[in-house]
Amino acid sequence: MNKNGSFYFSKSHEWVGKDLKDNKYRIGISDFAQSELGDVVYVSLPESGKTYNKNGKIGEIESVKSVSEIYAPIDIKIISINSNLNDTPELINQEPNGAGYIAEVEILNPSDLDNLMDDDAYKAFIVSHHE
Amino acid sequence: MDTAETKKTPLYDEHNKMGAKIVSFAGFFMPLYYKSIIEEHLNVRNNSGIFDISHMGEITIKGKDAAGFVDYVFTADVSKIGNGEIVYSLILNEKGGIIDDVTVFKFSDSEYMVVVNAANTQKDFSWLRYMQSEFQKNNKEVLVENISDGVGLLSVQGPKSRDLVYPLISEAVKIGKCGLFDFSFKPKQVKDLKHFEFSCAEFKDSGIEALISRSGYTGEFGFEIFVSAEKTVALWNFLLKNSNLSNLLPVGLGARDTLRFEAALPLYGHELDETINPYDAGLEKYLSESKDFVGKESLKNVKSKEKRLIFFKMTGKQIPRHSQRILDENLKPIGCIASGTYSPSNKFSIGSAYISDAGVNPSFLKNFFIDIRGNFEKAEVVLPPFHKKH
Repeated sequence: MNKNGSFYFSKSHEWVGKDLKDNKYRIGISDFAQSELGDVVYVSLPESGKTYNKNGKIGEIESVKSVSEIYAPIDIKIISINSNLNDTPELINQEPNGAGYIAEVEILNPSDLDNLMDDDAYKAFIVSHHE
Repeated sequence: MDTAETKKTPLYDEHNKMGAKIVSFAGFFMPLYYKSIIEEHLNVRNNSGIFDISHMGEITIKGKDAAGFVDYVFTADVSKIGNGEIVYSLILNEKGGIIDDVTVFKFSDSEYMVVVNAANTQKDFSWLRYMQSEFQKNNKEVLVENISDGVGLLSVQGPKSRDLVYPLISEAVKIGKCGLFDFSFKPKQVKDLKHFEFSCAEFKDSGIEALISRSGYTGEFGFEIFVSAEKTVALWNFLLKNSNLSNLLPVGLGARDTLRFEAALPLYGHELDETINPYDAGLEKYLSESKDFVGKESLKNVKSKEKRLIFFKMTGKQIPRHSQRILDENLKPIGCIASGTYSPSNKFSIGSAYISDAGVNPSFLKNFFIDIRGNFEKAEVVLPPFHKKH
């Protein structure tokens, strides 16, 4: 976690960030990813208590036009899921970095964060891969 | 698809300027949505929306024997409609499979225009040219031309679309030239047009003349406007400049699909293709009984339906997608999804499917399952359309 409380990103467009209020880690999908998906209408969430390896499939996000998988950005254990997404999946479009988070997690190997991208690196990654 | 060959409509730069998400569809770069499929969809249902559908094809059929030609190549009674009228029809191959579903505009007994699905423009044109050569062998006079590249097509749809269109067009009607077209009949006032009739619109102050029809693909009141490719940008911007008249929003292909599907309008490549006959698709009412047409002979051998098109809603929130399997309550495969989408008007997922046993009683299908990526999701048969209360 860097000093500004900003996020680390995976190449598959998930983020990992620490909620500064309760000092717990959360994961979600990036603003870029939600804008590519369009209106999100359904999210299948991971299981609380379950451990997922990096790049393992933890869920699915369905928008009107497409469906995408959500992957574990690093090795994680799910502490709790954002069950608000069951009734208001559009939170992912509205606040991808906030109320539209996917789950609260425990990071199994803290050094894994070093292998993710910071904000600037992620922005550069998007430009080089998608524009 | 090779992007080097992907075409652009005259409005491509306008879509980009508005920040549209662009996708390749039927050989064209098209806007999928500008901001949100759901918002655009609901605005068409409640107010009005404008679509760029310039990717669609326009083919003219002219000549002394054009009436006999259109009656032979199309399944509906085309030549019998009046000048200034439109008819929905199928084009069948000799086996009775559906080559395309189209609308045919009649200008006179010797002049027609066919509006075809973008993905099928080249196929339809080749087929109609082949039929033209067969007619010409019998000394019939008919000429088929593909004018698609010169035509821009805008669609204004929604209950308020009249509030946009009526104030912006002059009331004058005249015989003769109308933009790209030439009217040999006296067209109606645009305000007097009924569904599936067309006229000429002269847009005030802009000096643009265009063919305007009361038609669309949304299940709402609306217009389609055929304008020269050169003037398409000017007309698009003129209408959007006046968007306050009807709360007009630009709408992309994403909402075009959800709107048409709620209205249970078929989409070629989903509900229709060359392996499906008109009976399977439930379109037998577009087969004329009073004339011969290509495919009619083969259809006589179709004793009973081979498949049956059903519509359903999902119990859960997942969206069924084209070609996923349908399973009965014993998990035996019984068919395939034709179309599936989220219904913004109902806030649940809906779909259509071909059931392989046409004799099946849909009430026995009260509960069945869709195989969505390995999850068996429950669905139930419902009667369309989905956008209006029964």
